[in-house]
Amino acid sequence: MNRMKAKASVWLVLLLAAGLGTKPGVWAQQQQQNAAPLPTPPAYTPPPAGAAPAEDTPAQREALAAMKAKNEEKVEADRQAHNAKVTPAYNFHYGKKNPFLPGNVQVAGEQFLEPGAFPTAEYCAHCHQEAYTQWRQALHSNAFRTPFYRTSVNILIRDQTRGISFARHCDSCHNPIAVVGGGLTEDPKVDRSKIDSDGLTCMTCHSVVGIDSTNGNSSVKIGVPAVMVDEQGNRIPGEVPFQEILRHPERHSKAVMHDFLHTPEFCAACHKANLPATLNDYKFIRAFTAYDEWQQSKFSQRNPLTFYTTSFKPCQGCHMQRNPVTHIDYGAKEGTFASHRWLAGNTAVPFYYGYDEQLQKTIEFLRSGNYLNVDIFALRKQGEDKMIAPLGRASFSLAPSDVVETYVVIQNKNIGHSLIPEVRDLYEAWTEFTVKDAAGNEIYHSGYLKPDGMLEPRAHSFTNRPVTDEGDFVDNHKVWTIHSVAYDNTVQAGRSVLVRYQFRIPANITGPISVTAKVNYRHLRQSYLNNIFGKDHPAYPVVEIASRTRVLNIGENLPEAPDEADNPDWMRWNNLGIALLDQFQYAESVAAFTEVIKLRHDYVDAYTNVGLTEIVWEKYDSARTAIRRALTLDPNNARALYYDGLLQRRAGNTEQEISDFKRVVEMFPQSRDARRELGITYYQQNDEHNALEQFEALQRIDPDDLTAHYNLSILYRRMGRKDKAADQQAMFIDKKVDPGAPTYSLNFLRVHPEISTESIPWHMHSDPATSDGGVEHGGK
Amino acid sequence: MAASNSLRDWSAMRRLVWLPLLVGMFMAVRPARAANNCPWMSETTASSLLGGDATGVYVAGTERQPASCTFTQAMSQGERSLQITVQVVGDPQARLAQAELTCGTEPAPMHAIGNEAIFCTGDESQGQRSERAVGRVRDQVFAITFVTSVKDDSVLTREALKARIYTASEQVAGNLF
Repeated sequence: MNRMKAKASVWLVLLLAAGLGTKPGVWAQQQQQNAAPLPTPPAYTPPPAGAAPAEDTPAQREALAAMKAKNEEKVEADRQAHNAKVTPAYNFHYGKKNPFLPGNVQVAGEQFLEPGAFPTAEYCAHCHQEAYTQWRQALHSNAFRTPFYRTSVNILIRDQTRGISFARHCDSCHNPIAVVGGGLTEDPKVDRSKIDSDGLTCMTCHSVVGIDSTNGNSSVKIGVPAVMVDEQGNRIPGEVPFQEILRHPERHSKAVMHDFLHTPEFCAACHKANLPATLNDYKFIRAFTAYDEWQQSKFSQRNPLTFYTTSFKPCQGCHMQRNPVTHIDYGAKEGTFASHRWLAGNTAVPFYYGYDEQLQKTIEFLRSGNYLNVDIFALRKQGEDKMIAPLGRASFSLAPSDVVETYVVIQNKNIGHSLIPEVRDLYEAWTEFTVKDAAGNEIYHSGYLKPDGMLEPRAHSFTNRPVTDEGDFVDNHKVWTIHSVAYDNTVQAGRSVLVRYQFRIPANITGPISVTAKVNYRHLRQSYLNNIFGKDHPAYPVVEIASRTRVLNIGENLPEAPDEADNPDWMRWNNLGIALLDQFQYAESVAAFTEVIKLRHDYVDAYTNVGLTEIVWEKYDSARTAIRRALTLDPNNARALYYDGLLQRRAGNTEQEISDFKRVVEMFPQSRDARRELGITYYQQNDEHNALEQFEALQRIDPDDLTAHYNLSILYRRMGRKDKAADQQAMFIDKKVDPGAPTYSLNFLRVHPEISTESIPWHMHSDPATSDGGVEHGGK
Repeated sequence: MAASNSLRDWSAMRRLVWLPLLVGMFMAVRPARAANNCPWMSETTASSLLGGDATGVYVAGTERQPASCTFTQAMSQGERSLQITVQVVGDPQARLAQAELTCGTEPAPMHAIGNEAIFCTGDESQGQRSERAVGRVRDQVFAITFVTSVKDDSVLTREALKARIYTASEQVAGNLF
């Protein structure tokens, strides 16, 4: 067994070292298959910086007006002809007024958009070769055609009670031109040959004329594509000669570069998704919400309650970083261009298509940015209460045969969303923990890949397990069958998780032991890859995102210098406190935060952390002391004020409660928590007007907030606004978690004991099966 | 509301369960127009790949014969056709290797199509120009053949055929996943 594990590890290392398993020559060939040669760019000399836009001559104005009229006529005629062909055969499953449901996409005008009205990526490539080259390898261009997507959407299309019209839910983001073109119907009259291959082409995003909401599921409005506006700002549909654009790049920008493209709300259109009743015949279920996770993170600067703070960074700040250009791109500024690779975690698509540049950059991205911190924080010897912590600072001794519990703290340090975000039933991140003797022999190993490529089931993974109403794991991303989630071990932005491992030091040990904790990532889970390709597919890349090794002596261990990547000691304790709080270990959490205070008397958040933990623990008196101390240090600290507001409510000091929450809202007008609590306070005081204002504001920040739905339904009714009250009531009922759903989770956990402990926040990983490294009890 | 509508639709569908059986029996004796039936490519897409309006015929597979879709564009100068065959087999790798043997002198791997796929050597003989590809998705082996009998066809040139068979293969494999 150990030999098999070792072989798997060697294979993994080789795979990583070799640039992931395929010959570079083959990759180059693959790229040729998938990328058209770049067109010759038109001649262009950029105007001097700060130059005024070119003035048109009367003749040029006339010519442009004529071209606009001609283009409008053609695009409109094409649209009419297209609709005449498509509409009669189209399945209006959700009624004529909802042609794109269950997707939320909308179009300008009442009819389908003609796919040919979207200028092709190759047209854009004339002037934007950098963007085109990156886009071709990126996820957006491959959003539809990949086997990883097709396999699951095809299941929906083939589903006997649903079918292709339901797939509009998925394709609204994965293939929006096919959707708005009327291609998603049983007898489609739309040529899919080009649009399927290009997924989200340039003019998909650059034709969006408005964001409808932050509800996701493609909540955008797509206009008739235009790459230029006229002097008055009117859109000129269709392609225009390059010289027109190059003469007036500012008019090109006005047509295709709306300000909202730079905002996280634009990304929210598709990086937030729910499963509506129109899809699952059940009820609203939140699928994923990277946008909300970002909004609640320190990067948004909209949430006063984050554990750490930093400067503002939208989605684009990480996923569209500006890089020096390597191809001609007339949109470059000072030689740099915002990346159209949208680097993130997907290694599967570039691996499959042979886009080795994208693959390498994705791996570099995952390893860059100090996204995660892995801290082998503490040891606890069996039979001893004392925690040896923090490792590297504390002196201690170890002896042969000691049974040792290791505390590994993994901090989601600089990801603007959860680890893992989005479809975490398909992606796989996990902790690999190894203990080796001086000769490299394995003493303990958790989180290894089995010879068949499957992750061992007892590994600590940052995944979830959605289940059906029968309690079966939804293995094939059949999202419409999801009724509950058996567990979800994701780590939210800025938070930490404590993973505990227990192993026995061999009796015959002679030298030191090395302990290594890693966070690995694989896109996608092996069983899903097997579902796609069968079992005979190549091994997909496993990327080590972050790791830490410590060498422990048998005998005395003295303090040592920290590694460069190590967090400072106060932060190590703080992260432990956060992790313990999330695992409901309140006494230990307070103790950890108290250690932070010892190291940093002036750190306001340390006191607030003690206070908030005690609030959760319902120890309000000591919580008051801690929060008062925080506010003494910083009377304007929004985070401390928020928790003070909760404590003032508890004490019946309504005026102070309102004052606290109002101050937080003034400082953080987009704080959903402060708005919610202030709304509740006003509601409890029968101040309906102010309560309404807060809940409406809350709903603009988070359209799914249940408290807002519930209270608004009551407030509207009291005010005689019955329709609005009924809407809010319906949304509350639809979005509220089904109280019967946990039963489905329990069904799953009951029949999967090997994984069921993952659903318990405070659990231990040990290996009772291994005679040498195993322990007698307490293992999972 | 939507849920109850869908449930009502479902009940109605159950009452009509005999209908597909009848349609199926009808299909068994007479090939249907591909527009509604070809599971791997729409008639509109096939027409675009062939370069003009094409009509399709879908024939369901049997234990011995693969299922097929044949799209034909008839013109006065000749005929262009696109045929797709798909068969579920027990030993897909072996079957693909067998197919490769009939792929001419210079078969070439076609990357990022299905589990694996091959471009066959193009053929230009007997007044016809053709291009063929074979591949598989899991245990489904497919073959795609373009043929044009239009003399010096300016639409389906040798180069165009190479590009179009790649696109056709992507469409077919995508629908087989």
